[in-house]
Amino acid sequence: MSSPIDSSLSRRQFLRAAGAGAVALGIGGIAAACSTPAATSSPSSAPSTAAGGSSAPGGSAAPSASQAAATGTFNWMTWSDHWYQAQLDNIGSNANIKTNITELADNSDGYTKLKEVTGQLDMISGDALWVPKYFESGLIEAWDINQLAVSKQLYSIARSFEIWTKPEGYLGYPFGWSPVQIYYDPAHVSPAPDSWQVLLDKKYAKRVVVENQPVEIMAYMGKAAGVKDPYNMTPDEVLQAKDLLKQLKPNILRLAQQNTDTVAALKSGEAWIATGNLGTDTRVKDQGGPALNVFTPKEGTIGWMDSEMIVKGGANTNVILPFLELAEQAEYVAANFILNGRPLFNEAAYKILVNQGQQERADRFLYNKPETVLTMTLKGPGASTQAAIDAFNEVFGA
Amino acid sequence: MTTEVRSGTEPVPLAGSAAGFLARVGRAAPAVPGLLVLVVLFLIPMAIMFVFSLWRTNPDFDIVSDWNLNNYARFFTIGTYLRTFGKTLLMAGLVTTAGLATALPFAYFLVRYVSKRLQRAVLLAVIVPFWTSYLLRVYAWQAILGERGALNQFLMGVGLIKEPSTLLVYNDLGVFVVLVYVYFPFAALALYAALEKFDFNQLHAAQDLGARPDQAFRHILLPQIRAGIITACIFVFIPILGEFLTPTLVGGAQGSLIANLIVNFFRGAQIPEGAALAIVVAAFVTVVLIVFRRSLRVEDVVARG
Repeated sequence: MSSPIDSSLSRRQFLRAAGAGAVALGIGGIAAACSTPAATSSPSSAPSTAAGGSSAPGGSAAPSASQAAATGTFNWMTWSDHWYQAQLDNIGSNANIKTNITELADNSDGYTKLKEVTGQLDMISGDALWVPKYFESGLIEAWDINQLAVSKQLYSIARSFEIWTKPEGYLGYPFGWSPVQIYYDPAHVSPAPDSWQVLLDKKYAKRVVVENQPVEIMAYMGKAAGVKDPYNMTPDEVLQAKDLLKQLKPNILRLAQQNTDTVAALKSGEAWIATGNLGTDTRVKDQGGPALNVFTPKEGTIGWMDSEMIVKGGANTNVILPFLELAEQAEYVAANFILNGRPLFNEAAYKILVNQGQQERADRFLYNKPETVLTMTLKGPGASTQAAIDAFNEVFGA
Repeated sequence: MTTEVRSGTEPVPLAGSAAGFLARVGRAAPAVPGLLVLVVLFLIPMAIMFVFSLWRTNPDFDIVSDWNLNNYARFFTIGTYLRTFGKTLLMAGLVTTAGLATALPFAYFLVRYVSKRLQRAVLLAVIVPFWTSYLLRVYAWQAILGERGALNQFLMGVGLIKEPSTLLVYNDLGVFVVLVYVYFPFAALALYAALEKFDFNQLHAAQDLGARPDQAFRHILLPQIRAGIITACIFVFIPILGEFLTPTLVGGAQGSLIANLIVNFFRGAQIPEGAALAIVVAAFVTVVLIVFRRSLRVEDVVARG
């Protein structure tokens, strides 16, 4: 593996990027407010999604870019790595758009909660095939992503994902992505594995860590069993995956609650093998842990790509597009990458990283290869969820 | 108004009269706030969950009001749920026993042999962990019991083991140890409150009359702190039936309890299925409380325990 990034250098660069971002956005925000005709309109006159107005191209009822000068506070359910405090503080002070953030556990959690609270949220993050699911359930708006000037900073592929494209518009603002990979400590794991089967090898009893997500773990086992669509398994396929899960159980050291648990177990040497998103090896190394190797299983892997979705009927959606216009600027996204280390869809941020001397790190995280998402089995809601949970419970229960 | 007259007392309204009814309502009035809390915060949520448990989730993750008992059938027909519930009961029983076994001597010596002033300081030390988040305390146990943890370092340092043991955590033993730690203060405080009111001269008197120390303990002390013991059991046993966090963090793949399986359904957006399992556990807890209630007067817990 390549050498780790000097953490003090990273912090300096982060601060530099954040500072530059704040200045640039402050100036940019003022300039935008002065130059954009729509910005001269009264914020209070901006159409509200809740009102069901439809002025956006494609018949979308979502707020339009003409609300760029809107201010206020909106409610956002998201993962903690979609933002950082300095970014929100800058936007809050420069543009007077504030956020009320609710932590998002996982996709099904967000989906079921949004169904209950609907318009009490204004924006929600979601993964891959969950995004069209939200739309089909009438929970989010489709809108014209090209309304946002910042969207031109995205890789073009990210503006045209088929699963997120509807006649009414685009379903979300693309943010980040990652395949699930397998990390291992070469000091303890040999020969070098290339398959999901390494998780089942009896040599590694109580040395494997996977995140505590029953449906995902069953999907991994489905992949190991050669199942094509591990979120929509037939009863026979569920049984195959369950058999592999039985082999996996004695190898599990612990079911990690979050990536930091995985990193801690790998760092301490208690775990030798773990599943994780891109960048887990770097986080382990940065914390003084062993150098890890990583591979994408030959049977194929699961992956996620997430986006910010505008909630249908949200009371404060008029500030969402102005917020995204600021929050998704390349400077912020580059700083986010340095903080959290996984590929993001903002191409301009990649160029900033290259200029900052971070190309090796970015390329190692496949930042420059967004087309990789097309090769992954994307996370999504599935018809075999209940059977997968039952199978998981049967194996991991007493 | 029809009245009956008792000698030497005020006239008392006859049962069944309007005044009698009003008197009974008046006596019940103080219970209204409590009843309100019980209904709003307990009965209504439980009723909602019960209704959900009789529905089902369709493949689109929608909850369909299709009345059925399949979710309950799952608990009784899929062996893992019954076995895991049995394991949970066993774990709760063992932790309660261990909690009492450690808390009773602790409280006994504290009350009997330690000055009042020092007692307060010790009790404060017992309560101090509550100032820290439960989550942090359990994470701390990971650091203590882990393969590279403090306990392994100590055992290797004193030469008791040559290599770090992996048997201390991520299994049922780890769950047991941490649960005893977490629930010890509940048992200790309940028993302390009971023992504080006990007159230890009774033990001397019993022994003066020929009782052995163990007989004095069993026949004099234990009956008088019965309320405290039952309170401690309630405070320890019942919460463990719903324990999710400790098995998750220190139980590894082997240490799941019934709540962990229930949570998996909720995390997978299978709410009716999870609700049914939760109702089964809640029904069991209710039965346990009724059983305890028969051997315990409420005023014992409230006033003494």
